[in-house]
Amino acid sequence: MDVGVSAAGLVKVDRHYSKSLYDLAGEAVDDALRDSGRNSIDYLVVSTVVSRALTPQLDIASYMASHLGLRRARVLSVEAGEASGLAALQAAFHLALGGNRVLVVGVDKLSDAPSHRVYRVLKHVYYRYSDGFHAIGHAAVAGLLARMYMERYGVSREVLAAWPVQMHMHAKSNPYAMLRFAVKPESVLKAMPVAEPLTLLDSFPLGDGAAALLVEPDGGMAGISAVESAVGPLSVAVADDPLRLEAVGEAWRRAAGDGAVVDVFEVHDSYTIFGLLILEELRLAERGKAAERVAEGDFTTGGSGPLVNPSGGLKARGHPVGATGVYMAAEVAMQLSGTFPGISVPEAKRGAAVSINGHGSSAYVALFTRRG
Amino acid sequence: MAGESVNVDQWRTRIYRYRLLGGRCRECGRAFYPPLPKCPYCSSEDVEEVRLPRQGKLVSYTILYSVEEGARRESPVIVGLVDLGVARVVSEIVDAEPGTLKSGMAVEAVFRRLYEEGDEGVIVYGVKFRPAPENTS
Repeated sequence: MDVGVSAAGLVKVDRHYSKSLYDLAGEAVDDALRDSGRNSIDYLVVSTVVSRALTPQLDIASYMASHLGLRRARVLSVEAGEASGLAALQAAFHLALGGNRVLVVGVDKLSDAPSHRVYRVLKHVYYRYSDGFHAIGHAAVAGLLARMYMERYGVSREVLAAWPVQMHMHAKSNPYAMLRFAVKPESVLKAMPVAEPLTLLDSFPLGDGAAALLVEPDGGMAGISAVESAVGPLSVAVADDPLRLEAVGEAWRRAAGDGAVVDVFEVHDSYTIFGLLILEELRLAERGKAAERVAEGDFTTGGSGPLVNPSGGLKARGHPVGATGVYMAAEVAMQLSGTFPGISVPEAKRGAAVSINGHGSSAYVALFTRRG
Repeated sequence: MAGESVNVDQWRTRIYRYRLLGGRCRECGRAFYPPLPKCPYCSSEDVEEVRLPRQGKLVSYTILYSVEEGARRESPVIVGLVDLGVARVVSEIVDAEPGTLKSGMAVEAVFRRLYEEGDEGVIVYGVKFRPAPENTS
């Protein structure tokens, strides 16, 4: 069975104070289903994370179906922390392999509460009964990995800043991105420290968003060759090497084997360090060299490597947690169909989205191919 | 866990939190924190509970500025990855000026307040680490 994406819809990531979770989901679905009927949708798969804690609602997928005019669909809700969006796509992919027409909706609202409440929720991406005993917030693990990376490989803080600089540069031409402005390396270094050596500009903005994807047999916008995942260590403390994202490597092997050449990636960069570690785990850069390669322009237009995060990444497009993986998948599908409205690779043949939760407690990889 | 009322949860985990108990796998020989019924490395069920060493080395650390409710009196918080030889733990580092910390320095376990649950909630304790005396001698 051949499965593909047949439609994608996105809402600009922003502080949508006046809109509910359902309003945002509705906008993304309307955008995706402009030309398709709703009656023939077999399944609705919903991914939302932070809203579960800030504005609790059980059986969210059923209520979402009523709001979206999809009462005839079967529903399912998927949660995998920060990787939820791609986990929802994995469920949808398998349902579509069974012949179903599946609508995936990733939606989240982070601006419905003060930021300290949002970060309190986000702390729960880490294991409650070890690291979570301590006041680690969401950023501490990223901070200590960044210091470890700099010391082990002799990489300067200035070089690490190449990641956010490039993400902001890409986001400038993505109309769906939250932060559409350039930043300079020195502003990254001078920004408010969050988890030293990382600053506010190494992390994602808190915004609301929604993305929708229609996945079905023979979906014509982009083919889906695999959606795979793997479980990682429950803490960086039990990882053999904390600077390796074992789950990313394993999910990638399961999805792509050893041979896949990919033209465009959307990867999870909740903090600068995770974007770099993912590139290294995917062997797009040698260990310790990813930041340097980014600084040299290898992963942007005209570079020697694949295009990485043309959306601006979590860093600048934004990270509406439950929606993020669905954004990534939609952006890659748009790249392959030539409909992404920002920086793009002409005639890209293969694309991939790579998502993790926290420090890599899990990883998800979706591989897409160009149609025609 | 701060900021929520999950007292039974805190009570149930108190022993290993207070005493820095971990697990050791009799099959692959590796130790780990927290104690788990199956080895996180080889999935063997043949695991025993062990007291982890209370001395170790600081592998890496960060200074965290956005500190959750219940632990804010300690703000900013230093969070470290500590290598105990047989296992590693993520823990807060206390009694230290950030400028004096170095990766590789000796640290030792100390019993401390982890967080408070508001004016009427419990105070939750556990193990943190501080620079070992040998660093200053």
